[in-house]
Amino acid sequence: MKQYRPTYFIGQAFAGIWRNGVMSFASIAVLMSCLVVLGSFSLLVANIDVNLEDLGLMNQIVVFVKKETPEDGIKAMEREIKNIPYVGEVTRVTAEEALEQMKEQAGDEGYLYDMVQDDNPLLDSFILEYVDGSHYSDIMYNLGQLDGVDSIRDQRSLANTMQSLKNGIMLVFSWFLIVLFIVSVFVIINTVKLSVYSRKAEISIMRYVGATGLFIATPFVIEGALIGLTSSMLAFIVEYFLYGYVQNSMGKAIEIIRLIPLSDVSVPVFFAFAAVGVLTGVIGSTISLSKYTRN
Amino acid sequence: MIDFTDVVKTYPNGTVALNGVNLHINDGEFVFVVGASGAGKTTLMKLLLREEKATSGTITVDDTDLSKLSYFKVPYYRRKLGVVFQDFRLFPKKTAYENVAFAMQVVGTPNKKIKRRVPALLNTVSLGEKANSFPHEMSGGEQQRVALARALANNPKIIIADEPTGNIDPKMSLEIMNLLLKINKLGKTVLVVTHEKDLVDYFQQRVIMIDGGHVSDDRVGGMLE
Ligand SMILES: Nc1ncnc2c1ncn2[C@@H]1O[C@H](COP(=O)(O)OP(=O)(O)OP(=O)(O)O)[C@@H](O)[C@H]1O
Ligand SMILES: [Mg+2]
Repeated sequence: MKQYRPTYFIGQAFAGIWRNGVMSFASIAVLMSCLVVLGSFSLLVANIDVNLEDLGLMNQIVVFVKKETPEDGIKAMEREIKNIPYVGEVTRVTAEEALEQMKEQAGDEGYLYDMVQDDNPLLDSFILEYVDGSHYSDIMYNLGQLDGVDSIRDQRSLANTMQSLKNGIMLVFSWFLIVLFIVSVFVIINTVKLSVYSRKAEISIMRYVGATGLFIATPFVIEGALIGLTSSMLAFIVEYFLYGYVQNSMGKAIEIIRLIPLSDVSVPVFFAFAAVGVLTGVIGSTISLSKYTRN
Repeated sequence: MIDFTDVVKTYPNGTVALNGVNLHINDGEFVFVVGASGAGKTTLMKLLLREEKATSGTITVDDTDLSKLSYFKVPYYRRKLGVVFQDFRLFPKKTAYENVAFAMQVVGTPNKKIKRRVPALLNTVSLGEKANSFPHEMSGGEQQRVALARALANNPKIIIADEPTGNIDPKMSLEIMNLLLKINKLGKTVLVVTHEKDLVDYFQQRVIMIDGGHVSDDRVGGMLE
């Protein structure tokens, strides 16, 4: 019995977009801009994450051993450190090895260290890694209880700086996200409202002859979804070139920063854009229709 | 078929349009509804169409209590009714054929059935020749006949016409009324709101007079002065 043709709905949706050309264009432009900003923020955060991991700044503590600690004392310390909960790999670096490393790093100037060869000012040390950042303070407390510790150094502060930078960006990002989403939905609500308004007479006749709310609403919801989809495709193209451009110029300028390759992000970005775009369109049009489709 | 019991309709702005209407219309009746401007005739039709809800009292149509009709069932209820308005309300960009066909598409009628039924409907209102004309290419009487064909499209039990001849010259008006009567003979219940005393007197049908939101007279024959 029911023979609603999908072509009818889709045709009506396109007709609606066409009829409200200027408004449709405006809402596509707004939604597209929102998506580009959103995508850029997400990519920025993702890249900070990757670089934080790369640098391994998060999870290392260096424990220096007091001078004159006898070898079996150092061995005992190593065992105790390894017994601290949540401590992962522990590497011992002797004073001699540390000096060697410094010499190597100094390259041509390394001979300068020959002067202190017999009276090594460096200390033995342990580099320990931990897996879970949430146990950091427990680990530090346990290390403080050990005998024979000269000092403890970690790169926590740099990691902290990076982390709080990321948190700051995330916070701004979240606010942006909410505001942009509201703006986009609002713009779509108004676009679809106009479209509905321009067909008010038609809708009233449809209601008189017994069209269901769903039948009346579907073309407008598709219209919203199409606006969302178009916006997301355009946003994807813009984002693609933008990221490529940043990657090109950054890659040359700052070598230590690694950017996630374009090919790794394009698929998730594409689908995220499409999903957010269509969802915004559908939500916006549904809200603007609620008044008109109510009997 | 149609029952109004103590129906009161107060609009949100406080206007009391109907103030205790009681009436009963049988299956297959033809009824004129008359009354001064602002008496509440259109409001009565809107309540029947469930475009407005009664403030109090009950309206029953074909065993359906309209106050208990859920939002989702309203469209299906409306398919039992065919409506005609004073201003025709055709789609200006659709032909006569398309205007009638649209009413059937909207309720999901199979294309095959539409193709068979629309020409027959247009012939019923003597517009077979005008199937491909647009509303602006037709006279008022012709447009109203297209609207009538559309009202019949989904084979409703009841036809409601709110001043169907209000925008049409007298000769054409008679023709429209004759058509409505013919439709009534086909077994449909027909309600016609009108101001045209001459026509009411001529047809000698049941006349319900509305005055100040009440049924002030209900009889078979001509219009009261
Ligand atoms: N939507 C509305 N909101 C508020 N008041 C309304 C509304 N529709 C009608 N009214 C009022 O209700 C009363 C009855 O109106 P209605 O349209 O039913 O009269 P009518 O008998 O159809 O008049 P006419 O012969 O002029 O068409 C009038 O006083 C009118 O102003
Ligand atoms: Mg009226």
